[in-house]
Amino acid sequence: MKKEMVFTLNNEEVIVEVDPKWTLLYLLREVLELTGTKEGCGVGECGACTVIVDGEAVNSCLYPVLEAEGKKVVTIEGVASSDGTLHPLQQAFIDNNGVQCGYCTSGMIMSAKALLDKKADPTEEDIRTSIAGNICRCTGYVQIVESVQQAAERMKK
Amino acid sequence: MENLLYIGKDIPRTAEIDKVTGRAVYIDEYKRPGMLYGKILYSQYAHARIKSINTEKAKRLPGVRAVITGYDIPDVRVGFLGDQAVLKRDVVRQFRDEVAAVAATSPEIAQEALKLIEVEYEPLPAIFDPIEAMKPDAPLVHESDARGRPLRSNILPLPWKFSAGDVEKARQESAHIVTDSVTTTWINQCCMGTSGCVAEFDSNNNLTYCGQTNVIFGAKQRIATYLKNIGLKGKKIRVFNPVVGGSFGTKLDTDIYEFICIQLALKTRKPVKIRFTREEEFAVLPPRQAARFTVEQGCDKNGLLTFRKVEAILDNGAYTSWGATTPSVMMLPISSMYRVPNVSFQATCVYTNNIYSQAMRGYGNPQAAFAVETSMDHLAEKAGIDPAEFRLINRNHPGDVTPMGLKITTCPLEQCITTVKEKIKWDEKRGKRNGRGVGMASLIHVAGGARVYLSDGTGIRIKVNEDGEVDVLSGSTDQGQGSPTVIAQIIAEATGFRPEDVNIVFGDTALGLWDAGTHASRHTFVAGNAAVRAGEMVKRQILEMAVQYIPKLLKRSLKQQKKKNPDFVEPVLDYTMVDSPEKLDLKNRMIFPKDAPDHPYFRTEVGKILTSGLHVGVGESKAVVAEVFWDPPTEMLNAEMKGNYSCTYAFGTAGVEVEVDRQTGEVKILKLVSAHDVGRAINPALVRGQIYGAAYMGVGFGLTERVQLVDGKVVNANFRDYKILTANDVVPVEAVIIEDPDAAGPYGAKGIGEPGLVPTAPAIANAIYDAVGVWIKDLPITPEKVLAALKAKGD
Amino acid sequence: MKGYEYHKPQTIKEAIGLMEGLENAKYIAGGTDVMVLVKQGKLAPANLVSLRNVGELLYLDLQNGVKMGARVTHTAIANNEFVRKRYSALPDGAGVVGSRQIRNVATIGGNICNAAPSADTACPLLVLDAKVVIVGKSGERQVPVDDFFLGPNKVALEKSELVTGFIIPAFGDNTGSAYIKHARRLAMDLPVLGIAARATIKVGGSEARCKDAFGAADDASGIIECLEAEGLVFEDVRIAMSVVAPRPMRAKKAEEAVRSKAISEKLLEEIGEIAASESQPRDSIRGEAWYRREMVKVLTKRALLRSIERVIRPDSTAFPNRLW
Repeated sequence: MKKEMVFTLNNEEVIVEVDPKWTLLYLLREVLELTGTKEGCGVGECGACTVIVDGEAVNSCLYPVLEAEGKKVVTIEGVASSDGTLHPLQQAFIDNNGVQCGYCTSGMIMSAKALLDKKADPTEEDIRTSIAGNICRCTGYVQIVESVQQAAERMKK
Repeated sequence: MENLLYIGKDIPRTAEIDKVTGRAVYIDEYKRPGMLYGKILYSQYAHARIKSINTEKAKRLPGVRAVITGYDIPDVRVGFLGDQAVLKRDVVRQFRDEVAAVAATSPEIAQEALKLIEVEYEPLPAIFDPIEAMKPDAPLVHESDARGRPLRSNILPLPWKFSAGDVEKARQESAHIVTDSVTTTWINQCCMGTSGCVAEFDSNNNLTYCGQTNVIFGAKQRIATYLKNIGLKGKKIRVFNPVVGGSFGTKLDTDIYEFICIQLALKTRKPVKIRFTREEEFAVLPPRQAARFTVEQGCDKNGLLTFRKVEAILDNGAYTSWGATTPSVMMLPISSMYRVPNVSFQATCVYTNNIYSQAMRGYGNPQAAFAVETSMDHLAEKAGIDPAEFRLINRNHPGDVTPMGLKITTCPLEQCITTVKEKIKWDEKRGKRNGRGVGMASLIHVAGGARVYLSDGTGIRIKVNEDGEVDVLSGSTDQGQGSPTVIAQIIAEATGFRPEDVNIVFGDTALGLWDAGTHASRHTFVAGNAAVRAGEMVKRQILEMAVQYIPKLLKRSLKQQKKKNPDFVEPVLDYTMVDSPEKLDLKNRMIFPKDAPDHPYFRTEVGKILTSGLHVGVGESKAVVAEVFWDPPTEMLNAEMKGNYSCTYAFGTAGVEVEVDRQTGEVKILKLVSAHDVGRAINPALVRGQIYGAAYMGVGFGLTERVQLVDGKVVNANFRDYKILTANDVVPVEAVIIEDPDAAGPYGAKGIGEPGLVPTAPAIANAIYDAVGVWIKDLPITPEKVLAALKAKGD
Repeated sequence: MKGYEYHKPQTIKEAIGLMEGLENAKYIAGGTDVMVLVKQGKLAPANLVSLRNVGELLYLDLQNGVKMGARVTHTAIANNEFVRKRYSALPDGAGVVGSRQIRNVATIGGNICNAAPSADTACPLLVLDAKVVIVGKSGERQVPVDDFFLGPNKVALEKSELVTGFIIPAFGDNTGSAYIKHARRLAMDLPVLGIAARATIKVGGSEARCKDAFGAADDASGIIECLEAEGLVFEDVRIAMSVVAPRPMRAKKAEEAVRSKAISEKLLEEIGEIAASESQPRDSIRGEAWYRREMVKVLTKRALLRSIERVIRPDSTAFPNRLW
């Protein structure tokens, strides 16, 4: 039985009919067509589906859709400014080769953003722990960590 | 090298901005109107006869549009040796065998339908150990070959046998000899984007195929052959890529699911998508094959290598894909890593009821290098020579022709080894046996294309629009390595435009010229060479136009100024400075006389010339367009497996410092230095990205990764139990770029896609030996194996 | 996948009432276990009763021991400075579960009720003598966590009963605890095995002299020599092990054998041996039985030393990671 649900998605209020068995990822990708959030494994083991709910990074593939009711959800589509200016994290990933195939990138950026939103001056260990749930096969994480560090630097200025 | 504007610069990957905003369209997002979703039913046995298949219930499920089995489609063989059907109708030979497929209006319905298909099996004796499978009385995986001729053995009829010099004689003359056995296991490529495709036929039965292949023309050819064999001869086929979420070898062959998708699209007359779940990606996709090596090497009393003899047994699994051809690349380290005059190598591929194998980054080189490079340390110890010194004594030199016939051009191997020695503090840390140790290993790999097909060519087309946009149509593909940036840099440099002026279309058979594929670390080298040549043609055409139009434009402008201002004094200009293209240059969109780059009158923006050239009277308009098909001057391997199959070869050395916990057997990497000969780095940040990523994969290969098979079944088909390193598993890796520009490379560049992976695992094994005195030559080096070895040694 | 109804009660009473009245219902908290099982078809509930909106389940009271609601997330535990200092084993475990994303939603109650033999917070709660607070339609009861685990994914809960929280007694300054997760990776992994320890030592001031030994030690022998020389004695000890039995278990014989004994190399070896003899490890794809048994010996000793260190230098965060 579908239910009506209201929540905030990328700073806009959304009213949508949802099936209780959906995950938040399903709602985002298949219904709202925000396909920047990826499904890399479907069981919370790769982090490609990471979104931010009320300030915390979560795996949207395991997030029961009805739990998003009344909450603030941010996806990769809501990270850049409304005029299209990239968020410092997005720019840093481009500038520092933090992107290769790009499939993990949305989730990586969301995990990193959840960190930087809380901690403006993270240590390398903070960064690594925040993205340890985001598997990347291309980069060995080196330039991803560098990207997050550079974004943090730029955001302080 | 001359003053370069874009080569050697860390140009950002702006062309891939959609990957950071979430807008990039991978196969996951690619949709067509009315598209259906396909799912595949796999075998539940490693070897069984199919007694019956009942699809009636599945067909009746609402939303299901087609259910097909081997009985619903023509019995046509596919694959490298033509040894498998698309859907298996009589016998299944591995757990992943495709038995039936469903197309439905949603993936969920298709999945439900699979559960309703009833298959009755009669189990057959299965064989999982290639050594057992080679025995005369072993159960046969295949009763007959592709042509129906009976088979008597599980050994594949592949010619992997190589010999140079006289190994027997050299053995007798050696002062020191070692023999080692080495085992490597199945490795999943673990692309973050899982496999998938969308097939769509038009009303004429012409096929539009959106797939992830990195060999678009090879895929097109295989699909064309398949369509012809099922009775659709002469149909037009377009193959193109979406954004691809990693490849690492998985997209080299056309996989069975792709033919199934085509069949479902034919059957339903609708576009059909198949996209793998992560579980399928682990359990179904052909991994890097498992191999066993026996390696014997000798040296004389001065430490010069005398001979190397390697025998390999490859677990082919139940069918044959590119995995069975990896001995052609195993040959590289075996015949040509260091100077070794007498070599013999034999590889035997054996059918088993295990999962069948494909290619993975390095293509056999990582396995063979593990065998050769751990044996090098063993031999060095026996000869009483420091392993780094031993490698230096035997290193390759520019100008060498190796026993395999490889012509070594540039070769900064000495610099790679000494750099690693220095950075890892080799002399200070070596030989302590105190739980900490250092080790190294080197590699040789193709870096100037790889002639595995009759053509190793690639085509590129450039057209320059009147506003000065440079459109490039490439026959190659990008799977995440950064080609849109690197090829744009090369084209910008060669043409005189800026990287941001360049738009590149990759991966579309309708638009690109033929290309042998983005594999074998060949893309930057081969496509780069084509790009330089085409770019130079473009530049020449523009400069020729400039000779014609700079004086015209200038004279017109001066005339206008004179008209506006009668006092204007016309400058006296020497028009011979611009009267031939040789006297002009184009850089950063500006055309100027070479002798006076800042000339106040002749310096002209390229757009003006392009517009002028296009908009002249009838019959004289010119558009700038160039096309190059470049095939490197290399040879295919001959019947003796000899030949210079690449234009140039890359060398590199990895050095590792480890700490071994003697009580738990855990190995921690304290430092990893990966020094690689790249000829010239077109984009150093991207080169480092390739080295970092490959080195991490090498650490996984060495320490943590394995596809675990129990009686043929993959039992760790998820990211929890298949242990890819996470960001918390810090490997302090330093990528060192060694530049020694190669005359054959575009601006001197060599390929670097695969090399970083190759020497990492043997360097780790060698470092572990230095730390605690035990050899683990069975990958991955798990804590269990280390601890067991330490206990056996009496620690 | 068949659908299910999703219920969002606001109170414990409401949750229990729903559970009583609904067919084929299952509680769901953070959902990181339940959703996986549902997606894999291993669980097909008709109703999920979410505990995420039950405010009564979310509390963390650190006065006189720990009183902790079942809905407290792993992140909240791992990041709590006071808990890290005084009940170290618990954040040691909570901080290494899955990934940051998982820890942000996964709850302590869920981890315990799922009762995986590998649960990372189980051993810490066992050594901290935690009690499970259970509420059912007939009221509240408290069960020692050791009696709560019955077997793999089996716990001592009646239908509709709900774990509402945990109670950990207060320990003095002379008590330290630790949990060591032995896994192939440092994130996103299940343990090959896990060992938690709690050590209460008799203090007389001399222990402070071993501070430097802990700081300087390159291996454990220097530390143990110092502890031995200063005559330190175990007052009370707890040891718990995961993955080496069908349920997370205490090594009670080992605990008994060292109570009130002076710390020595020999004693520490002995504890490990006894604990190993109590374990019943099996071969699995994640590790071999002989290796697990061997690791019980090694890690029991290390977990105890780490616990002692936390008594002697409670402010140190840089525990030497090499102790061999």
